[in-house]
Amino acid sequence: MAHTSFYPPSGIYSDSYRKDMRIVKTKTQWVLSIVSLIFLFAIPQIPFFNSPYLLRLLIGVGITIIICLGLNVLTGYCGQLNIGQSAFVMVGGFTSGLLNIHLGWPFWMCVIPAGITSAVIGAIFGIPSVRLKGLYLALTTLGAQIILTWIALFYIPLTAAGFSVGPITIGTLVFNTPKKFYYVAMFFTVMMTFFAKNMMRTGPGRAFVAIRDNDIAAEAMGIDIFRYKLLAFMICTFYAGVAGSLLVHYMMWAHLESFTLQDSIWYVVMVIVGGLGSIEGTIFGVIFITALKELIFVIGPMVEGKLPFLPIGAGSGLLLVIIGGVAILFLIFEPRGLAHRWNLVKAYYRLWPFGY
Amino acid sequence: MEFFGKIVAAGLMNGAVYGLVAIGFVLIYKSSSVLNFSQGYMLLLGGYIFWSFRGGLRLDLFLSLLLTLPCAFLMGILIERITLRPLIGQPLLSMITVTIFLSLVLEGVASLFWGTYPLEQITIFPKGALKLGKTVLTTESLFAFGLAIVVMMVLIFFFRYTRLGLSMRGVAEGHEIMQSMGISVKRILTICWGIAGVAATLGGILLGGTLGFQLGLSHIGLLAIPAAFIGGLESPEGAVLGGLLIGLIESIVSGYVGKAAGVPASYIVLIVVMLFRPYGFFGLERIERV
Repeated sequence: MAHTSFYPPSGIYSDSYRKDMRIVKTKTQWVLSIVSLIFLFAIPQIPFFNSPYLLRLLIGVGITIIICLGLNVLTGYCGQLNIGQSAFVMVGGFTSGLLNIHLGWPFWMCVIPAGITSAVIGAIFGIPSVRLKGLYLALTTLGAQIILTWIALFYIPLTAAGFSVGPITIGTLVFNTPKKFYYVAMFFTVMMTFFAKNMMRTGPGRAFVAIRDNDIAAEAMGIDIFRYKLLAFMICTFYAGVAGSLLVHYMMWAHLESFTLQDSIWYVVMVIVGGLGSIEGTIFGVIFITALKELIFVIGPMVEGKLPFLPIGAGSGLLLVIIGGVAILFLIFEPRGLAHRWNLVKAYYRLWPFGY
Repeated sequence: MEFFGKIVAAGLMNGAVYGLVAIGFVLIYKSSSVLNFSQGYMLLLGGYIFWSFRGGLRLDLFLSLLLTLPCAFLMGILIERITLRPLIGQPLLSMITVTIFLSLVLEGVASLFWGTYPLEQITIFPKGALKLGKTVLTTESLFAFGLAIVVMMVLIFFFRYTRLGLSMRGVAEGHEIMQSMGISVKRILTICWGIAGVAATLGGILLGGTLGFQLGLSHIGLLAIPAAFIGGLESPEGAVLGGLLIGLIESIVSGYVGKAAGVPASYIVLIVVMLFRPYGFFGLERIERV
């Protein structure tokens, strides 16, 4: 079952391109998506689900989904590697935070400038590498991670020490607890997911896929590779900037420690585990890795306590080995990620009882 | 001037080691066009293995070296067998990301077995100092420099004049052609990774001797990447010169600018070089035909 994602729901015939490109194809899907949206926004009100721990986790997942969606547009759809994503999250976060405390702009005015600043700085780093063929973007984004955090640490006194940022407000409503912030985070997550999903149906989205699949052929078809690679990279960093803005207003505190090279690598792990070139895969990947991380945070200290011969810090080592190992296993045995499993399940359900 | 001489000397000493590590990087790139982002962590793990023999079990220097190098070779081979071999035929993107994830695993293994704190300092080279005019060179760094240069020379001669080295260069040219010439590409790739492991480990030992064995050693990998790239990813000689250049830049910038500017400055240079000489100074310009 190689191309399982192409089985349409039963009884659906696409007799025009418009119909073929619909995201939601059947009435059942409409009902399901509306129900799940309502459920998503109702979580803070449902007893059992609304523990602050789970809500904080979900907010983290939501923000990380935005970051990873950007990364998946670049890596999954356009085939370029970015290992400095958290530096661009940092740029967005600091821009938004500085606008907020110095100019007194509310969050709603900061979030777009944060994304744009991120995208512009991303373009500065992207230009030397997207000119070349191959995966040189990996090199310059690594450079971006190192150079940008270094500038923030040594040349901007405010960002070096970290500073506090005001919470998000609408009128008199202040989103300063997880329970309240959850709505903002989910609103942005859903919006950005929708944008990403839609973007891939447009001309630029198809151009990205063409570049990923064969850049020479894409060029021969009249796709300006330089322009579209740069566009993909700017979209990626724009997403990072928006997520960074959300992140600092959620924590109400902007600090360098949330933006390390290791974070950048974890975003790549999430995208790979979820499935390259799949929007829903990104969501699965983020949830899977976040859950795994939480599990190891519980298990790690227990292992360290049970096995006294291990040195100090072995717990963090265990975390790295497991996360890295899972990512490698996925690359080797399931290169299409969790999204592929999801498609298999869907195909099974659609073909039942005549699946093979 | 005295200060300048000192930092130039220190830069050249460190640069030789970066060059050595960069050769491992070039070797893997040449044979399989994979950018090995885990080179720095191979260096870290190799250095720690050496420390276990020398500092942990308190073995003789030469005996520990003799035990470490096969371990390092084995480490490279294992990495290739377990992670890269199954990915043959997959897109290049997967092969490169796998090396990024490998760096997580290697760092994890290092902190799982040796902890996150710096290990006990051990002396590898005899202490002492050599005066060269007004510049004082420690014998430690002189030994490191000498050893790095010797190893690099050996590797470069190996590529150029031995049968195995020649088939490695052939594999770099194209896998299918070499396969049809009766050379096992898989075997060559395995050996390449083994040698890269040894080069990284030697770098780890030399740097660990002067900087101390600690998790931060893996950052040298971050310097070897621009070194290899500026020299040109296809050229071992370029890697050596790139290493020396990066060593100099790092040392001069940290000396005069301070503020931990060494590594960022190397990356700024890397990006500038990419703008003007996209394939490095000694690299091959790729010409694409359909």
